Amino acid sequence: MEFGPYLFIASLEGAITAAVLALTAVGLSIVFGIMRVVNVAHGEFFMLGAVIAWWVTSMITAHPALGFVAALIVAPLLVGLLAIVSDHLVLRRINYDPERTIVATIGLLYVIQQTTLMTFGPEARPVEAPFNKRIALPWFELGENGFVLTWPWGLSTTTYKLAVIAAAIVILLILWLVMSRTRLGLIMRATQLDSEMAQAHGIHVDKVYALVFGLGAGLAALGAVLIVPIQQAHYLMGGDPLLLSFIVVIIGGLGSVAGTIVAAVLIGMSDGIISVFFTPTLAKIIATLLVAFVLVFRPQGLFGKPER
Amino acid sequence: MLVVDNIDAAYDQVQVLFSLSLSVKRGEILCLLGRNGAGKTTTLKSIMGLVSVQKGSIKLDDQVLSDLQPHKIPAAGIAYVPQGRRLFAELSVKQNMDIGLMARGAGADTFESVLEMFPRLKERLKQRAETLSGGEQQMLAMARALCMKPRIILLDEPTEGLQPSMISLIRDVILKLKQENVAVILVEQHVDSAMKMADRVAFIEHGRNPETMTGEQLQQNPATIRKYLGVE
Ligand SMILES: Nc1ncnc2c1ncn2[C@@H]1O[C@H](COP(=O)(O)OP(=O)(O)O)[C@@H](O)[C@H]1O
Ligand SMILES: [Mg+2]
Repeated sequence: MEFGPYLFIASLEGAITAAVLALTAVGLSIVFGIMRVVNVAHGEFFMLGAVIAWWVTSMITAHPALGFVAALIVAPLLVGLLAIVSDHLVLRRINYDPERTIVATIGLLYVIQQTTLMTFGPEARPVEAPFNKRIALPWFELGENGFVLTWPWGLSTTTYKLAVIAAAIVILLILWLVMSRTRLGLIMRATQLDSEMAQAHGIHVDKVYALVFGLGAGLAALGAVLIVPIQQAHYLMGGDPLLLSFIVVIIGGLGSVAGTIVAAVLIGMSDGIISVFFTPTLAKIIATLLVAFVLVFRPQGLFGKPER
Repeated sequence: MLVVDNIDAAYDQVQVLFSLSLSVKRGEILCLLGRNGAGKTTTLKSIMGLVSVQKGSIKLDDQVLSDLQPHKIPAAGIAYVPQGRRLFAELSVKQNMDIGLMARGAGADTFESVLEMFPRLKERLKQRAETLSGGEQQMLAMARALCMKPRIILLDEPTEGLQPSMISLIRDVILKLKQENVAVILVEQHVDSAMKMADRVAFIEHGRNPETMTGEQLQQNPATIRKYLGVE
């Protein structure tokens, strides 16, 4: 294949990484933005989403789409519920103290990971996509008579991959609408800006925190359900999304949802492209270096505002 | 109406209020006077449930506020205008007021009547709170509180750092609230205005309330002012 079409394929793979990363990182970002909690267990909520998706789809076998749709609903709900329980049992008890929540969520990470290993086992398990038609993609070439449409051999993707990108966009749009247009969004933003004043206006801050922690975890789980037909479920699969989400949240600016999305597209696309042309390891190295540069030269992130 | 009875209050381990008592009635303005760090802000925060009260009780009519979860206190009819305004900076004027409206389920009529008191805000409903001038921010802090249709309002140095024209506007609003039978607890820096506006003045010193007197009594006793504030 020539370079152009090859780059196009790589970008498409990158767009899928970006879409799922955006969902996962936005989850991490709102938890940090509103609760000031650095959730080290975020990747495990992602992993659980995939594992639950496998579990649900292997129980509902009438039609792959049926099981998958059920997984799309059940996995984020169960994971969100688990997060709410963790908030009650752990985070609230240590008063959301920034340092102690880091240690506590590291503990949570191992509890979730090892429990999964003991029950789900060490194998990677596949989940069937609800639909998966291969479609050939066109390419433009400058011929003697101007641009011509060609169909290079191997330039193709699947309907499912395109659907993942579309789904992530729709979910993020809904989230944006909720945050900017609804009463619930207003309550969450007020809590983020000044939790004490929110409380002085009758906002039940503990309830908002529980909800936000559940929502953040649910978004990670949703991202995982979308990617699991492409990647398989495995008890150690939470590591990469956690690392990449942290990278994205730092580059985008802590607590800035819009910045997080832009950074997710940036990092996801470059991760996809570099992984295709070189190796996934190089992609991670470059992303980590980028974070180091951002931390040194623009600690508030590319889109964050400086601390006042 | 509101009775603060013998409370101790602390930030974590540091006790700040010691057996402090106060009361205010409907349509009354109670002024809190005292040096910086005396515990005035902490007194208001205790009423709002924002610092932990370890001893004593705070009652609004028959309701024991100090037993309520903090987020349930505003619903009892208490609005709080904190020192330094503390608006929701990135939210619009309208959204800040919406938060106030939500607190006690007030409707569009309340919103309109509050805006009538602060016409300057009406022109800036979509503007972010942080872009307002100092005086407008104070108006918004008051407006946000009034959107709760409070029975009692706690005002912490509402005229701090404002121009004279703005100060008199804020004072007019406070007097209007008094006429509407709202109870007012006002933390003031300016002794003169405290004497003019207050029905009673409570001095706060080292987290205690050694003395409370009427405005007139205070005018006849300038020595008291020197004693608690160290100024004329
Ligand atoms: N968040 C806090 N944590 C610990 N101590 C505090 C805090 N806020 C105020 N204090 C202390 O409580 C005392 C009373 O403060 P404050 O109520 O703000 O006084 P005032 O409003 O009369 O100036 C001061 O000694 C102050 O240092
Ligand atoms: Mg003060």
